[in-house]
Amino acid sequence: MQEFTYVIKDELGIHARPAGLLVKEAKQFTSTITLACGDKKSAAKGLMGVMGMAVKCGNEVTVSAEGDDEVAAIEAMKTFFENNL
Amino acid sequence: MFDFFKKKTKENVEVIGAPLKGEVVESSAINDPTFAEEMLGKGLAIKPAEGKVYAPFDGTVAMVFDTKHAISLASDKGAEVLIHVGLDTVMLKGEHYTAHVENGAVVKKGDLLLEFDMAAIAEAGYDTITPVVICNTDDYKDIVRMTGKTVEPGEPVMELEK
Repeated sequence: MQEFTYVIKDELGIHARPAGLLVKEAKQFTSTITLACGDKKSAAKGLMGVMGMAVKCGNEVTVSAEGDDEVAAIEAMKTFFENNL
Repeated sequence: MFDFFKKKTKENVEVIGAPLKGEVVESSAINDPTFAEEMLGKGLAIKPAEGKVYAPFDGTVAMVFDTKHAISLASDKGAEVLIHVGLDTVMLKGEHYTAHVENGAVVKKGDLLLEFDMAAIAEAGYDTITPVVICNTDDYKDIVRMTGKTVEPGEPVMELEK
C-alpha cells in the first residue's frame, strides 16, 4: 500500500467540481484508492462519497492506494492534490 | 414514435422527477465546462422559474453542502443525484440559500429541500441554471433525458435504465 497526506489549501475545500475531477483521476487506475479525513472515509472513485466528506480548507487528507498500479496511482493523486487543492 | 414515448414497464427503469419548476435543457447549454462536458456524470439542467428545489424521488439526503448551493440525494432505487443550484455559486458561501433538510434526512418525492433567492443570486452576477447530475452514471446502461420542455416539479425528466 502507498499513501500520502495533504493539507487542503483551496479556500473552498473539495466542492463539486474538484470532487468530480478527483474521481475522474482516480478512475484511471485499477488500484483501490481511499480518502480519509478525520473520522470520515470514502472510496476516491465514488463522487457522492467524496462530496459527502465535505473536506474543508485546512483539513488534512490521507490518500491511500492498494493494487497493481498503486505507485503510479499515488503519484498521480499527489500531483492532482498539489495542482488543484 | 420516439423511443422515449414508449411506456417502459421494466423494473430496471427508474424515473427521476424534476426537482425544480422551469425549462429543461441539455447539459451542453450550461456555461460551465464541468457540467457542459458532464464531467460529474450525465444529466441535464433546469432554468428555474422559481427558487425552490424539491425531492426528485423517494430517498435520502446524502449531503447538503454547507454553502447550501447544492444537495446530493440517493434514491431508494439506487440513483445518486446532485442538484447544483447555479454556477460557481459555491462562492456565495450560503448567502441567498435556505436549506429545509439536513444530511441523512429521509425524503418523499416532492418534499421541499432548498429555497433560493433567484433575483439576489442573479443580481450578484451568477447564472441560476441548475444542473441535475446522475453521479453514478456508470451504473446505468442508458439514461434518457427529456429536455426541451417546461416542467412543474415532479414531472419526469430522466429515465435511468440498468
